[in-house]
Amino acid sequence: MCADLQSLYRETLIEQSRNPKNNYVLEGANRRSELKNPLCGDVVTIYLSVSGDRIDEASFEAQCCSICRASASMLTTRISGSNRLSAISLAEDLIAFLNESDSDIFENDDSLRALSGVKAFASRIRCATLPWEAFQKAISD
Amino acid sequence: MIENLTPPATPEALKQARDDFPILSRTVNGKPLIYLDNAASTQKPQSVIDAVNRYYSHENANIHRGVHLLSTEATAAYEAARKKLAKYLNASDESEIIFTRGATESVNLIAHSFLEPLIKPGEEILISHMEHHANIVPWQLLAERTGGRLRVAPIDDNGNLELDACLSMMGPKTKLVAIVHVSNAIGTVNPIEAIIAKARENGIATLIDCAQSIQHMRLDVQSMGCDFAVFSGHKMFGPTGIGGLYGKRSLLKRMCPYQGGGDMISHVTFDGTTFKEPPSRFEAGTPHIAGAIGLGVALDYIESIGIETIHDYESQLIEYAVNRLKSCQGVEIVGNPDHRSGAISFIMENAHPHDIGTILDTDGIAIRAGHHCCEPLMNRFGISATARASIALYNNSDDIDALVDSLAKVRALFG
Repeated sequence: MCADLQSLYRETLIEQSRNPKNNYVLEGANRRSELKNPLCGDVVTIYLSVSGDRIDEASFEAQCCSICRASASMLTTRISGSNRLSAISLAEDLIAFLNESDSDIFENDDSLRALSGVKAFASRIRCATLPWEAFQKAISD
Repeated sequence: MIENLTPPATPEALKQARDDFPILSRTVNGKPLIYLDNAASTQKPQSVIDAVNRYYSHENANIHRGVHLLSTEATAAYEAARKKLAKYLNASDESEIIFTRGATESVNLIAHSFLEPLIKPGEEILISHMEHHANIVPWQLLAERTGGRLRVAPIDDNGNLELDACLSMMGPKTKLVAIVHVSNAIGTVNPIEAIIAKARENGIATLIDCAQSIQHMRLDVQSMGCDFAVFSGHKMFGPTGIGGLYGKRSLLKRMCPYQGGGDMISHVTFDGTTFKEPPSRFEAGTPHIAGAIGLGVALDYIESIGIETIHDYESQLIEYAVNRLKSCQGVEIVGNPDHRSGAISFIMENAHPHDIGTILDTDGIAIRAGHHCCEPLMNRFGISATARASIALYNNSDDIDALVDSLAKVRALFG
């Protein structure tokens, strides 16, 4: 397998795609946002339970590829129990990191750097950012 | 049942075909390109590339308006392309061929100039469940503007049109039947003869979307008996941005203009304008002259091999591909139509079509992954996307074997 492909489909990404965390409808969510990539038809729904400045719980449902599913799993794991503003900031940074070829700010982040393999596949970057964009929409609505 | 896994022999007329397409000698990700995304767009033979180059290098001028030599030559070349299309489709007259940007614009033109002035609130447009968005959305927009109603003929679980249901949906309220000849997503060849015959009995106009059939089989619009046929140049080895429609002269003559502008008028005053006869009435402004010339040369290329030869060979190749994919562990073919042309859609249990497409791409194999602009069809099968391999005259059994080998890598990674 070529190096770029190995980097894209790292074990952690494949594992999270096969056994995603937080992959359920969150009963009692007070924020919900569905986002679709019209180019491919992938669709992700993010559910949030937010109280004050805190995101108590996050979950997702998706009809999507492995990268999108793993990314949604990582997102919801990361922001559950976190501060609202820091989650918003994390999403902005992650989307910028994936879209900007020279950015390496997540290279030392044990979980999120698994997504960096998409940077070699321009057509797959949106697969990774879609859940994070859905989160941005959910938190700002 | 033992499936036939014998590779088809390449006919003499196609043996050198790959050499005619310069792009096929490039590499992708360090591997020789294997192009199996022909339903999205076909590659171009050198003769088409040269024709476009020659036009811009030696003949470039506007058409239908200059007295100078270049304009005369450009006009002759543009109109010669129209004649070639008329001959290829066996239209009764070259004025029945209108150049557009492609099949999508052709459908929109017919919606605007033919159906919109005719249709009354409550009257119907009949399409099928396997249409491309280009043969759905223009009719939805028209229905919204006019109070017309869009009706959808069902398909069965194999991806065949339910013909009896389709025919029974044609009634006194039906104004137009607009049906795809060959499904871009699952390769179904529809029984358009029976549909057109029933429509004609009932005085209903017919539009056949030939975007996925014109490059694979002989089309004879007079024996088909349809009122309109639409197609795209870039899917038949021609340039992008050019395509067209066939329309019966008696209908075209009654239709209102699509766009207003230069070259489509007889006489303009501030009190009003009179319009030229078809085809000029529907070709406002400077058209894609280089594209039309290139499309004409693409037709020359197809005819130099023979569309019947292409059809026979591709029929064997697509059957070989279906049988190879059927025997490929973990692969499920979407749609099992009685008659297939050009395309095969498939899914894998654990790998999403995008992941399949990415892994194949690293082996130099280009396929399409997604909904293929057929979301209602995807919904009919309860899926959001498929991987699709689609062939053209330059593909061979080695390409299919490489696809199958690469799919084994997908299964190794995703299970």
